[in-house]
Amino acid sequence: MTLSIPNTTGYLTEHCGDDAFATLKGYTARGGYSAARKALRSKPAELLELVERSGLQSRGGMGLPTGAKWRCMPSERDGPSYLVCNAGESEPGSFKDRLLLERAPHKLIEGILIAAKATGAEKTFLYIRGEYFRAARAMERAIEEARSAGYLGKGRLRRRFAHDIVITRGAGAYICSEETALLESLEGKRGEPRNRLPLPGGLHAFGRPTTVNDVETLCHLPHIVEHGVDWFRSFGTEQSPGTTLFGVSGHVVQPGLYELPLGTPLDEIVFEYARGIPHGRRVKGVIPGGLSMAILPAGQLNVPMANESLRERKAMLGAGGLIVMDETTCMVRVACIISGFFRHESCGRCTQCREGAGWLHKLVQRLERGTGTRKDIAILEDVARKMEGQAICGFADSAAWSIQGLLRHFRDDFDAHVRQRQCPFAGSFEL
Amino acid sequence: MILGDAIRAEIDELATRYPERRGALLPALHLVEREHGHISPDATRELADLFGLRPNEVLAVVSFYEMFGTEPRGRHRAGVCTNLPCSLRGARTLLAQLELHLGVRAGETTDDGRLTLGREECLGACAAAPMMRVDEVDHEHLDFEKASAILDGLE
Amino acid sequence: MIRFTVDGREFDAEEGQTILQALDAAGVLMDGVDVPHYCWHPKLSIDGSCRLCQVEVEGFSKLQIACDTPVTDRMVVHTTSDRVSAAREGVMELLLLNHPLDCAICDQAGECKLQDYAFAYGVARSRTREPKRAAKKRVDLGPTIVFDQERCILCRRCVRFCREVPGTGELSVFARGDRSMIDVFPGAELDNPYSMNVADLCPVGALTTRDFRFKARVWNLEDVPSVCSGCSNGCNLYMGVASNRIYRHVPRRNDAVNDTWLCDAGRLSYAEVGAAHRLDQALARDAEGMLVARPYREVIDAAAARLRRVVDVKGPGVVAGVASARGTNEDLFTFKRMLDALGTEGAYVALRRGESDELLVKEEKAPNAAGARALGFAEAEQVVERIRGGAVDALVVVGSELLDPGLLGSVDALADLDTLIVIDTHKSDLELVAHAMLPERHAAEQRGTFTNHSGRVQAIAPGVEPGWEAYEAGAVLAHLASALGLASFEGGYDPVGVSKSMARSVAAFEGIDLSTVGEQGIALRSADGGG
Repeated sequence: MTLSIPNTTGYLTEHCGDDAFATLKGYTARGGYSAARKALRSKPAELLELVERSGLQSRGGMGLPTGAKWRCMPSERDGPSYLVCNAGESEPGSFKDRLLLERAPHKLIEGILIAAKATGAEKTFLYIRGEYFRAARAMERAIEEARSAGYLGKGRLRRRFAHDIVITRGAGAYICSEETALLESLEGKRGEPRNRLPLPGGLHAFGRPTTVNDVETLCHLPHIVEHGVDWFRSFGTEQSPGTTLFGVSGHVVQPGLYELPLGTPLDEIVFEYARGIPHGRRVKGVIPGGLSMAILPAGQLNVPMANESLRERKAMLGAGGLIVMDETTCMVRVACIISGFFRHESCGRCTQCREGAGWLHKLVQRLERGTGTRKDIAILEDVARKMEGQAICGFADSAAWSIQGLLRHFRDDFDAHVRQRQCPFAGSFEL
Repeated sequence: MILGDAIRAEIDELATRYPERRGALLPALHLVEREHGHISPDATRELADLFGLRPNEVLAVVSFYEMFGTEPRGRHRAGVCTNLPCSLRGARTLLAQLELHLGVRAGETTDDGRLTLGREECLGACAAAPMMRVDEVDHEHLDFEKASAILDGLE
Repeated sequence: MIRFTVDGREFDAEEGQTILQALDAAGVLMDGVDVPHYCWHPKLSIDGSCRLCQVEVEGFSKLQIACDTPVTDRMVVHTTSDRVSAAREGVMELLLLNHPLDCAICDQAGECKLQDYAFAYGVARSRTREPKRAAKKRVDLGPTIVFDQERCILCRRCVRFCREVPGTGELSVFARGDRSMIDVFPGAELDNPYSMNVADLCPVGALTTRDFRFKARVWNLEDVPSVCSGCSNGCNLYMGVASNRIYRHVPRRNDAVNDTWLCDAGRLSYAEVGAAHRLDQALARDAEGMLVARPYREVIDAAAARLRRVVDVKGPGVVAGVASARGTNEDLFTFKRMLDALGTEGAYVALRRGESDELLVKEEKAPNAAGARALGFAEAEQVVERIRGGAVDALVVVGSELLDPGLLGSVDALADLDTLIVIDTHKSDLELVAHAMLPERHAAEQRGTFTNHSGRVQAIAPGVEPGWEAYEAGAVLAHLASALGLASFEGGYDPVGVSKSMARSVAAFEGIDLSTVGEQGIALRSADGGG
């Protein structure tokens, strides 16, 4: 392994430490593209059924079943339809897609071919966040190789299925990892989420039926096609099968990326794989799914990392980023960073989000400075409640839930700032 | 004309990849940003012409995205990630030290026009915190000595 | 047709209509069923961003925005539940967070939806100690509109209007998050023939017209419903009146005519009512050939005497009447009746033509060209030939359009007339050659009907009174006819009565009179306006 960060591997990240794996030669030498060949001989309905039976949940945040997302594509089509690969990974604490893009680009291409065949898409737009220069270059190289080998464009697979991938780079907007905002951005517009009617209806890019899948989800597909449903379901839990990539960051001895079955207990990931908290300190809290998910306090870390179990604790798996905080951490400072992030990244379209995110940030900043009052804490709770469940996309919810989580579990930290009229956590990380 | 023939040809080629020409707008803005260091009002007008849009529609897009700027900046751009995972490992302390070292605040450009220092939201290197991006390259596992040496070494 | 229930009341909706659209179509939105809203506007695309119009829809756990939720059959909607109230209150508080509390100096005060809704649905007190967002104050966005960015609540109606209605798209949202702002491109202007509509659309005082700025407080204005006389489209409007002065025109919604829009030219046309060059006294030419002010009755009698002499000597064939298409149907009907009673060769109408667009502005620059045609007036080109050929000795003219370049071009051809009687709202070169000039009420000063280009008959009402003795053109003509001794003009002139007799005697107007047209007008019997 020559990865720059500690890791454990499973089927997704096996060989990712090998530089050659990012090349077509290296990838095919490890059996790459055999699943794609198999898939291209299958009927779309067979692939759809396979993936549905596998129970593969999207790994991008919402955890929706991939098969159900595919089923949103209309069966009758009078023109082109697309697959969009969401490589907009921007969730603070999450960095798994980046690894796959940089180290396993052909696996993603293979996954794309399978998904495209299943959904009948004629072209894939790979939307990579703008800051991922290295990932975009790795994908460009791989796509070029796949084209010259005939996996993409015109070539050896063309008789059965011609497909091509266009890379579009984002330009620095967290919200563009939300799938409808991503589609707007892809179309050359401001990345503002689209209004969704409460009735079911598929997504559209350039006015055409479109499926959006995230990078990791697509990378599972070659393995499912190759090894079958039973094999896939041998990992993870009944409701959440497969492995996933847990990013562990913050106050741990060994921050890194750990591929583990879904349902692996959070404390096991933190204390065994990431080797616990440094300097003999105790853990204070862990944000289990990336910054926009609610925090869990030290006493609740024995939870299996799967949506069904996390939801019971008002948390979510999200994009699998674990941010670990030790006992020195000031949770009001954490609130400052989180609310500042949401304020900065709100697209500004919905009232609740535009105005609410800014208000949350101003309130927690004042609390951190020691000039806040008890009433400010009450307003904080109230503003968060007013932001919840009322905006076009889930961004305002995330902004609200993350603050609500901190207030729910670390209310004492907030109260102490008011009582002592200053931040009582001298040893905390600096703002 | 701000945009030369080469860039115009490149934009035309990009446009063929999308079902609608406008799909190439972000890629085109990246090209202009890379070549000119920012997207000036004149460039915005010319891009608007190329895409059959109004200048304000293009500016509305430009101003939405963090990576596009309307004002000239330094020859190099360094951004320290100050989001939570990096901050927990001292990113904000590092940024403050770099501000002192360079004599500029985050968001400002050094007097010699060499470097614009900034802050970034999470860049997906949380396990290698703290980190910063300099132009198109990420630098990980930083401390002040390492970071200042990298910045001092810029042309 | 599908049926749905709102707060226990049943309504019809068409397939595909959203809740707000269906309530709007039923005529109950904010008038029976209150669903406050900012970004939604009946004539603009749906934005769904202000989130104020949230309602409870049975079967959905979350509140839904009424603007973008399609009605389904037997849908049950609640707009007054505690959850809905709490959501509205939340939106209001968040919007007021960064809104300056400068109502005392804000032109929008009194018709501000933020102010209104804050009273109705919001919280009176502000809980924020944070400084409000500082932004551009009093910036000219263009020749007509002043922008106060601090007051903007980012509903984006103005952005959508410019893009969707005039199609000029000058405005955009720039930046993002709480730094978002509406603006034009640096160095560009908001400058289109409909620009001032953005001030009406703006639910707060962020966009105001330079024309109305600081001129009056809106609660002192009376809104008098009328019709624009700028062109033959007949856009519905309100005249904002105080102390016998018109301060502004604002559009009045009529989906069959102008939706909710008004062109800038029509909006500003009220200025001509109070213009310095109004014809404000009756004038008659004296023995020395000077046009001098004389009492109105005296001028009527003198004019009638001159006209009578021409008819007696040469017969009615040398008398012609030229009406103005800015006259009401009642004015024109009276004029036509007089000319017919005299037995003249013809009744003509002078039309003014100009630029048109695909939205509202029509080529014919008078509000009642179609009415004139329906009442049997012929276009004035024909009388111009007769005048130039010396076939006309006496002329009764309403308005000065006859002098337009396409017609006579100047008063030269009129210099040799035996008798020229002019009835007009404003002074003109006709003063040089007229034998009698009689002041006429402006459309803003009279009651009557106009027939617009599509044959829609719409009522106008007086908003102001002239400060001098002046009557409707119809009344002046009735006085003249009466002085001429023509039968059935003795009773004077009453617009309502005239409109009723017109409805009785002109087939196209059957059933259409001032008592039946209502606020939205009625289409003529024959839609082409040809009678």
